[in-house]
Amino acid sequence: MIWVTWRQHRAQFLGGAIALALLGGILLLTGPRIASSFHDGGLASCLSTRGADCGDLADRFLNQYNNMWFVAVLFLVVPAFAGVFWGAPMVARELEQGTHRLAWTQGVTRGRWLSAKLIGILAATVVGAAILSISIARWSYPLVRASDNRFIPPVFDLRGIVVGGYALFVVALGVAFGTLFRRVVPAMAATFGGYAAVRVPIDVWLRKRYMSPKVISFPLFGKGGPGIGFGRGDWILSSRIVDAAGHALSSRGGIDIDALASRCPSLQGVQFPGKDDLGTCLQHIGARTVNVYQPGSRYWPFQFIELGIFVLLAAGLVAFTFWWVRRRVS
Amino acid sequence: MSAAVVATGLGKKYRRRWALRDCTLEIPEGRIAALVGPNGAGKTTLLHLATGLLEPTAGEIRVLGLTPGEDPGLLPRFGFVAQDVPLYRGFTVTDMLAFGRHTNARWDDHLARTRLERLEVPLDDKVGHLSGGQRAQVALALALAKRPELLLLDEPLASLDPLARRDFLRVLMEGVAEDGATAVLSSHLISDLERVCDYLILLSHARTQVAGDIDQLLGAHRLLVGPRRHGGGRIAGVAAVVQEDHTDRQSTLLVRTDGPILDPAWEVHEVGLEDLVLAYLGQPSASALPEPRLATIRQEASQ
Repeated sequence: MIWVTWRQHRAQFLGGAIALALLGGILLLTGPRIASSFHDGGLASCLSTRGADCGDLADRFLNQYNNMWFVAVLFLVVPAFAGVFWGAPMVARELEQGTHRLAWTQGVTRGRWLSAKLIGILAATVVGAAILSISIARWSYPLVRASDNRFIPPVFDLRGIVVGGYALFVVALGVAFGTLFRRVVPAMAATFGGYAAVRVPIDVWLRKRYMSPKVISFPLFGKGGPGIGFGRGDWILSSRIVDAAGHALSSRGGIDIDALASRCPSLQGVQFPGKDDLGTCLQHIGARTVNVYQPGSRYWPFQFIELGIFVLLAAGLVAFTFWWVRRRVS
Repeated sequence: MSAAVVATGLGKKYRRRWALRDCTLEIPEGRIAALVGPNGAGKTTLLHLATGLLEPTAGEIRVLGLTPGEDPGLLPRFGFVAQDVPLYRGFTVTDMLAFGRHTNARWDDHLARTRLERLEVPLDDKVGHLSGGQRAQVALALALAKRPELLLLDEPLASLDPLARRDFLRVLMEGVAEDGATAVLSSHLISDLERVCDYLILLSHARTQVAGDIDQLLGAHRLLVGPRRHGGGRIAGVAAVVQEDHTDRQSTLLVRTDGPILDPAWEVHEVGLEDLVLAYLGQPSASALPEPRLATIRQEASQ
């Protein structure tokens, strides 16, 4: 049966390999340049020196390659293509062309037939996702090192084990939609839409709630700050400035000069207050920064939670497909 | 006599329409049965129910003593050629044979290969490039390589030219004869199957209308030609009038008999299979079913 899976889908596997090679080509074209300026600019040695302040070097380096994240964002949709081109046609093409009447009347049961196909396609998916994830991790290493932030979206989505989870999910979604719709093209479209419909809410709403976030509060001025290196590697969900009573200084979380003026006489009637006046005022009302964040140490727990969610979704879709193929489709 | 296929009150409903309804029939082992009926009569549905591709909505079907779709042990024991001969068009013929080998524990590769070679089907060509007749031969070779006890073919001759039909039927007959298999061939034209089949099942309007041994059916039907007949007076030896045509002076009756027709007023002719089928199709209310057998099946089913 493995032979059958290979023979039927070898063109798709080959297409997938070519697509991966092309993506790899983009990374190979841009990667070495990023890596060499990371090393030659002195940032690499600075970052590996304990206690050194590499802020300026890092900012310069990141500014130079800021546009690279746009390349990386393209890679966000890459797993979807596995679902669209591998998953959706797997059962749908058989049903569309009527060859299921041939395949399902041979000596093997539908369940075994489906198992063999799914094992082949899901194994290829895991291999492809691993290659993709490792390639991007290697390529983006200097950028992530410089910004010291692998936790914020979309960096989180592009690296690590979650990539495998997305890919397994979208392939299972494609197979399930293909089985349900019995037509290749609608199944492909639905797979793409379904992938976005699941990924986006998890990205923007659910992920930050995997664990309850931590809150840190420190004076805007003077002693008691969090020290150098705070925020490195953390995923800051929100940052507000509040007064001593804990009331926000403005509805947007920042500083509203008009609102301050009512509390500090020195600011009243001044069109453009000076930096010192403002500082005095803020100190006077006891302004503090309140950050809500997920600490960087939770990176791997979050990766595992997200992987778990998508693997469970994939498992549910596979179970549905088995049930539908065995009981409902004919 | 045991039966290869037994259907009892079998029905399949799609949404609101019955594709097959209250179908009760029995195909004895070792027969070559013609499953005939107009388009939409339920032939494909019946065959799909027999292969387990479909599940019945009502009633029951047993194939080789097993329930299709429920008993996985049935799958290796029948061969099926579906309508329009589905094959993987991107596969070469050799690939198709490998497909069969990999999906069947019981598989006679040598048989399939030599048969296709003898028919000069190019084994290295893609299936999509073959002629319709060659594709049908590949599909038949795949079905026969399972060495099936039962062969089910859905409109196998529909797209073939007369020469390809003859070749197809010849290979089919050889294969069936080698294994003593039962075969069921569906067609909307009886003339396709008349030469090879010895059992007839006539489906119309989703129901079984006629079922029986072809020789017995032909023996039990006569065409009567006589003077214009008025009213429904009984003719000795006639069990039922299937179809009657009248001109001003003459009546032509196709009848099912229950004894010799000795009435000198009627000229008695034998009936051809095609005429018989057409007569029944024209009269959906008429039927010729082996009543005693059906009665016993119903008894068995109700036990």
